[in-house]
Amino acid sequence: MEGKTRIDMSRDVLIAGDYLITPLGAGTALNFRKVMEGESAVKQAYLPEMAEHPLFLARIDEGLLPPLLRDDERYTRLEKFFIAALEALIAEHDIPKDGRTLVLLSTTKGNISLLNNPRGGFPEERIYLSTMAEVIRRRIGFENPVIPLSNACISGALALTVAGQLMQSGRYEYAVVVGGDEISRFIVSGFHAFQALADAPCRPFDRDRNGLNLGEAVAAAYLTRIPKPDTVRILGTGSFNDANHISGPSRTGEGLYRSIRAAMAEADSPAIDFISAHGTATRYNDDMESIALHRCGLTAVPLHSLKGYYGHTLGASGLLETILGIHSLKTGRLIPSLGFVQEGTTHPLNIIRQATAERPLRTFLKTASGFGGCNIATVFQQTGQHG
Amino acid sequence: MIRERSIYIDGARFLSADPHSSLGEFLRSAYRMLETDYPKFHKMDGLCKAVFIAVELMTRQTGPLPTDTALIFSNRSSSFLADHKHASDIFRPDGVVASPATFVYTLPNIAMGEISIRHQLHSENVFFIFDSYNPEFLAPYVNTLLHAGRAERVISGWTEVTEERCDLFLCVAGAKGPAPHTIEHLKRLYDKEHE
Amino acid sequence: MSELTQELKAKIINQLNLEDLSVDDLDDNTPLFGEGLGLDSIDALELIVMLDKSYGIKLSDPKEGRNVFKTIQTMADFIEANRK
Repeated sequence: MEGKTRIDMSRDVLIAGDYLITPLGAGTALNFRKVMEGESAVKQAYLPEMAEHPLFLARIDEGLLPPLLRDDERYTRLEKFFIAALEALIAEHDIPKDGRTLVLLSTTKGNISLLNNPRGGFPEERIYLSTMAEVIRRRIGFENPVIPLSNACISGALALTVAGQLMQSGRYEYAVVVGGDEISRFIVSGFHAFQALADAPCRPFDRDRNGLNLGEAVAAAYLTRIPKPDTVRILGTGSFNDANHISGPSRTGEGLYRSIRAAMAEADSPAIDFISAHGTATRYNDDMESIALHRCGLTAVPLHSLKGYYGHTLGASGLLETILGIHSLKTGRLIPSLGFVQEGTTHPLNIIRQATAERPLRTFLKTASGFGGCNIATVFQQTGQHG
Repeated sequence: MIRERSIYIDGARFLSADPHSSLGEFLRSAYRMLETDYPKFHKMDGLCKAVFIAVELMTRQTGPLPTDTALIFSNRSSSFLADHKHASDIFRPDGVVASPATFVYTLPNIAMGEISIRHQLHSENVFFIFDSYNPEFLAPYVNTLLHAGRAERVISGWTEVTEERCDLFLCVAGAKGPAPHTIEHLKRLYDKEHE
Repeated sequence: MSELTQELKAKIINQLNLEDLSVDDLDDNTPLFGEGLGLDSIDALELIVMLDKSYGIKLSDPKEGRNVFKTIQTMADFIEANRK
């Protein structure tokens, strides 16, 4: 769609805060530091409740929750992580909880671990995402409903842009966007049936990649239209379906290509300092991304996938990875793409192999793709002075 | 609109099946009435089948959809049918026997993917979850998309399909049309009593 | 052998939801993928699950799958040779 006009550019939507809860720990700064030190959350585990075979995955340790919350039997495990992230984010930024604040919750399966599970411990009604959302709303004290958005693996990134669009239309002054998913037998068995799971730590874009690792995370972001320093602007976004196949990505990367092109056009084709790709490390996804990026002329831009550090965190991934990209901009440090050794996609990409010295970074492109043929691309840029 | 075992297009009844028939039987007979050849239909789960039939009927009224027709769907139960099927596959006494064909449908946005493939739509898809049909939220969002030029048309609405309920209400919105895309109008259409 | 191919045809129709087809519509030597029946990647994974569930044969290498699943006949031959 050429010639899209952005409504009221003088009051852009800004990302003004974020919070992460991951297997590496709580807080964005801590996560960013550990990632820059090369630490990965992916570990080998044997979890008979989830699978008969050993798994490489990244699970959050409940020990990092505030003890009162951790032991609160009113909430499921996933809800506790959502609550902890939201409470920390709101406290840090003094975010209003009244009608001015839109709240979006991105998740693919929510409390699905309760379904058919004799050891669930909660009524099956809790599986309904709107029920889970209401539990969280009441705990946090939001006036507006917490609205779940469930769009496969692009949910996290999509929730950000949906929030942005709703804010730009003037309906809301602020938004809180939170994304998360929990690993369960439900999810593991499904990906296993798809032969999508790697038998080792995953290797995005590498020649010998053979699948993904599953991971857990909760990521939260705070958006505002009030101009503030040290924020990041959503400069442009595009989301287009492949219209090709419900589980396999388009061989020509059609949907992602259109998404990137639209995002870049809306952003006025800025210079891109780095790309945070989806990079799940399946053979098909990474190839498709290289094809889409090649079609857009972006294969020379420094690129990483963060799935080597966290695994594929499903409903959290788009948001988690965007937040780390934002911190990359703020610190001027590119994040290396963990797990990559050798070129192995249809079109070679400029994979970030190691940490570099600080340099001015202003703008990055985030891409994501998911089951159902969905894709999204978003351009983010720092406001004000950088470096 | 699909209400339990009846299908209405623009208010006119297309099919009224036996209210005690199973969802599967109902959807199969609706498909046959469509007189179309789309073998992939049979692989879909109940949610996708219902959505497929609804959009197929809509396009017979509107003509082929522009490729940038956005899809903004919502429901309460997500991919209930596929979720329950997959969950029963994996909690069996004789061990886990997961089916990839079932698992792929355990995401509510797959329905939009199936529509995109059928009608060759390269467009934005968003799936929201609400307790009940929420035109107060959806209508402004759809209007925002149209006004910002992000889509030429939008199909939006409510797609709640479970073992017990089939409650589907979709409408096409565009820049021009016979009726205003407002919350009040949508509520009226959705709440309409049908014999 | 023909008993196995008949059995396979019925299983495939059932497992892959090929509702508009009957066992008699399927020829032993019709290519299953590409031209012919036109099965897709999810169908291929389903066939792998079926081999395991119904015949106890575990097939984890997708490349091996391409040859095994060429036609009903090649599937039957493979099962005969490897079934437990």
